[in-house]
Amino acid sequence: MKNKIGAIILASTMLCTVAVGFTGCIQEGEINNGSTVDDLANVPLATSGGFVMPEGGFDITKPVEITFYHTMGKVLQEKLDYQLELFKELFPNITVKASKYGNYDDVHTQISTEISASNQPNIAYCYGDHVADYNVSNAVFAMNDFLPGGTYANETVTLESGKVYNLGLTEAEQKMFIEGFYNEGHMFDDGKMMYMLPFAKSTEVMFYNKDFFEDNNLKVPTTWDELWDTCERILEIDPECIPFGYDSESNLFITLCEQNDSAYTYPTGTAVNRFRFDNEKNRAFVQSLTKNFLNGYFTTQELNNGTYTSNLFTSLVEPKCYMCVGSTAGGQYQKPPLVNGEYAFEAGIAQIPQVDPAHPKAISQGPSVCIFKDKDPQKVLASWLLVKYLTTNIEFQADFSIDSGYMPPIKMEYMETCEAYKAQLDEANGTTGIAALSAKMCLEQKDAYFTSPAFVGSSKARTEVGLLIQAAFDAQNLEEMDEKIDQAFKDAVNRCIDFIT
Amino acid sequence: MSKTKEKPKNNLRAWLYLTPAIVILLVFTVWPIINTIRIAFLCRWDSNLAAVVGYDYQTAMNPNIHYQFGFNNFVNVLSAGNSFLTALGNTMLLTVLTVPISTMLALLIAVALNSIKPLKKVFQTIFFLPYVTNAIAIGMVFAAMFSMVRRTPTTDPTSVGIINNLFGLFGGSPVNWMDRGSSYWANIAVLVIYIVWNALPFKILVLLGGLQSVNKQYYDAAKVDGASRWRIFWRITVPMLSPMIAYVVITGFIGGFKEYTSVVGIFGDDMGPYGKPGRLDTMVGFIYNSIPHNQGKASAAALILFVIIFAVTMINLYVSKKKVHY
Amino acid sequence: MKRSETSARKICIVVMGLFGALAAVMLLTAICIFCLAPAAKWAGFCLIAGAVVAVAFLLFFAYNLGKFAGENEDAITAAARRQKIKKVLIYIGIYTFLTVIAITVLFPFYFMLISSVKTVDEYQLATPTLWPREFRWSTYAAAFTGDLHLGRLFLNTVIVGVVSTLLSLVVTVLSAYAFARLEFRGKNVLFALLLATMMIPGELFTVTNYITVSAFHWLHTFAVLIVPFLVSVFYIYLLRQNFMQIPNELYLAAKVDGTSDLKYLWKVMIPLSAPTLISITILKMMGSWNSYMWPQLVANDTLHRLVTVGIRQADFSISGQPGMTDFPAQMAAIVLVTIPLLLVFIFFRKYIMRGVSRSGIKG
Repeated sequence: MKNKIGAIILASTMLCTVAVGFTGCIQEGEINNGSTVDDLANVPLATSGGFVMPEGGFDITKPVEITFYHTMGKVLQEKLDYQLELFKELFPNITVKASKYGNYDDVHTQISTEISASNQPNIAYCYGDHVADYNVSNAVFAMNDFLPGGTYANETVTLESGKVYNLGLTEAEQKMFIEGFYNEGHMFDDGKMMYMLPFAKSTEVMFYNKDFFEDNNLKVPTTWDELWDTCERILEIDPECIPFGYDSESNLFITLCEQNDSAYTYPTGTAVNRFRFDNEKNRAFVQSLTKNFLNGYFTTQELNNGTYTSNLFTSLVEPKCYMCVGSTAGGQYQKPPLVNGEYAFEAGIAQIPQVDPAHPKAISQGPSVCIFKDKDPQKVLASWLLVKYLTTNIEFQADFSIDSGYMPPIKMEYMETCEAYKAQLDEANGTTGIAALSAKMCLEQKDAYFTSPAFVGSSKARTEVGLLIQAAFDAQNLEEMDEKIDQAFKDAVNRCIDFIT
Repeated sequence: MSKTKEKPKNNLRAWLYLTPAIVILLVFTVWPIINTIRIAFLCRWDSNLAAVVGYDYQTAMNPNIHYQFGFNNFVNVLSAGNSFLTALGNTMLLTVLTVPISTMLALLIAVALNSIKPLKKVFQTIFFLPYVTNAIAIGMVFAAMFSMVRRTPTTDPTSVGIINNLFGLFGGSPVNWMDRGSSYWANIAVLVIYIVWNALPFKILVLLGGLQSVNKQYYDAAKVDGASRWRIFWRITVPMLSPMIAYVVITGFIGGFKEYTSVVGIFGDDMGPYGKPGRLDTMVGFIYNSIPHNQGKASAAALILFVIIFAVTMINLYVSKKKVHY
Repeated sequence: MKRSETSARKICIVVMGLFGALAAVMLLTAICIFCLAPAAKWAGFCLIAGAVVAVAFLLFFAYNLGKFAGENEDAITAAARRQKIKKVLIYIGIYTFLTVIAITVLFPFYFMLISSVKTVDEYQLATPTLWPREFRWSTYAAAFTGDLHLGRLFLNTVIVGVVSTLLSLVVTVLSAYAFARLEFRGKNVLFALLLATMMIPGELFTVTNYITVSAFHWLHTFAVLIVPFLVSVFYIYLLRQNFMQIPNELYLAAKVDGTSDLKYLWKVMIPLSAPTLISITILKMMGSWNSYMWPQLVANDTLHRLVTVGIRQADFSISGQPGMTDFPAQMAAIVLVTIPLLLVFIFFRKYIMRGVSRSGIKG
């Protein structure tokens, strides 16, 4: 017995020693915090994604079945089915099997499993970090060949009717997309490969209590400095309120990085080099946020016990808030409450506060679609045709947007050609038409959209910077603030690195 | 060769009967032991990620990616970010706190139960109830009891929660047990209370069973000698019960090191109060959370857990060998 | 009659009366305060004080009992009585202790039950009511009709529970029989190896099992919840012990009669080990009902989600207020999950306790 215990202790000691030795080695790895952030959005795309066109191009006679994983609810599925019928009329040989898999994470989990068994679907709803994850196994099809300038951009398919159909995305079609959303598709690795097309999008806008602002002669703030001044004034008017709410701590951090042009993450390099958000500029804005939080100027979703700050915005009792940044997909929750059959106030919508209002920045969110590689090139071509069809189909985009509350990734001038959508936008107002009002606002700020690069660990970084802000706000007073912020940054970076190694 | 008294005639039939069990055990028990040890020592240097990454099944299917033998999984688990070390610390703390408390309490209850006749069955049944409940579901009930209740998210709590109310009856001021901003020790206190509550039934059952089998003559002899109850308890009950006590302590330690569901029951999958996810993570929690994306790290952690449990069990056995009266 | 004794008795009665009255008043006050204003801080003190006085009353009563018995008492009976009184006091102590623990054990169940029928407004009261003012049964209906889909969760769990229990019984019985009755080469080595696997924590298996079931394309199926746990070495061991106790003569007699092995197993062995088999069945069913970690990892979709996973991950928000938990609705769902377990416990207490005391594992 004694010998056994001795042996165990010896073995574990050895293990620990070895482990510590190795740790030392690893921590000496390359650390590169000083590099400037390359803007992946401006990287020119490669002309080829490596697709090899089968002889004779797309075969419209051979039946081909493709699968599409999504998360659409019942109403949206009906709209999708309708479009699939129309698509079937165009390409009678393509059969699309669309299936719903719970929420975005469920789709992600399902596909991850299937990839490991080479059993993945052809098309799927995705977020950037999912695609990065799938791409560890090189599973995602790069669309470059079929984009303007690509190898097969000018290929065509002759339909049964004799009509000639563009296989590639034409330049005219590409121009329909709002650039920020389109560029999200290549925010991976070196930025040269396009893996996703935008499907339905949302962003953040600032809802404000228009009546309150007018009654008190307040100007809607456009910059952060103006925002804090406005908060101070609002607190003088209504001392019990929390003037400003910002739902997502993560978005707040990431957006401020973008607006300040400071480093957040980078998709390649060593683990240490990927998580670049611990820098002076970022520490400075977290400090400023913390001070304003301690002043009682604002709150966030998690600090609001996990409930959307829209609850405060639409609240009839204190604490209320008079400005609130939330997702456009949740626009209907910002609808002012009814009191005796009348809306308690009218809501207005503005761009989120900026650092430089001349170059506004707002985050791009919402699902995109990606195509998976397949042994059968006909399936890949069929999938590409469907993706192209759905994403550039104004009627479908309008239907989808009206029912889901998401905004289309298509520019306003194109969307307005759809009667139903135009009618919807015309109904925009600060009460019943608040969702339309936010969609309108989003389409107007079409040059503001950005996304952060996606890679394995990018979603962890997103979660951690959100927690970082919460941890910084734990500070009870200015004295312990610096210490808390320092610790929060270190913890967040450590946890990110721990996650991917 | 072997000296067979009786010719084994049932060879074929026996193996036939055993086939289903053996096949399943080979696939789901024997292979895992070998494979888990194997992948605990496998990892790759990922040029894309530029980091040492543990084994994961999806990537392993890619023929272009090669794995190397090494200790990197253990290094990763034991170093950066320290989330495993947090889990290890939490697990140790919970075990060290709950095992003695629950064992002592269970011993007291068992002795008390053993000395009464009327209502004994009723009490016994009541004390066993926590055992037949769902650890996650009742954990959620405990969470509700310790949580503050708010009407709207930002207003002060309308109710400080039933436990704080009970404390209030004795002049205690409300404690933030597990809401946003609660302290680590308050969280641990909630967990300890719940784990002890949950662990009592099994311990009482075993200890009471032991007590009932103690020979009454020892007590009669002691009574004749005029020994005090206290003396009888320490000099007769505890020694006679020592094998059972050793048993509940060992199973308690093993269970303690595998603690996970209690934390999930009370704090949810986030393993921590609002704003502090992962603060109360445990070793098993760490393993389960690592499984989907990094089986190398999960294996390394599972091996460490195994070594710890093995070592603690051995130490327990060693100590009890000296102290236990069989 | 000696005068002094009579007066001592009188004094005793007066003091006791005072004590008793005081205790009664204190306890009554405490109870009143509890009912009327439970939040008042001094209610607890009142209760404690009342209890202390009551105990003092009992002590005083016990030690002066002799005084009431009056005359003609010899030393021996007095000592015996004192002994008896001491015993009574100890019993009072023991019962008080057990009652306090019993209340602690039962309280969460009570809390769960009363909370489940309260309205959200009543639940939010600063001073929780100990009995619901108004019963809201809709919480129970909502558990089945709402997003939780409790019906579906129950169905999934029952499917997994029943199938895995049946298959597991077959495998266990066959193996236990082979180990208990048949002679074959390597029997003891194999049995020792099986027992050895019991020492290893299950988490060590989980990692590879996850990889295995992925490779089998079993993720998000019922198979993944059933197959990996079909064989429990512990149950084989338990049943083997039981089979071994059945006298060998029965087997030999059956052999002489020409009964086949399987028939003997079915007609003799299984009926004789029914209690153990019932224990195994119940523990296995409870296992499916309570399992969380593995199902959460491998079969977390609507069609296969088990009840524990479902209830933990469900969103019990008050409608229109995401993030604000509707505790009564949550409690109602938990009651529904707990009731089947309690019913099983009531009917099969003996078997559960027997199985448990031997296993040291839950489920």
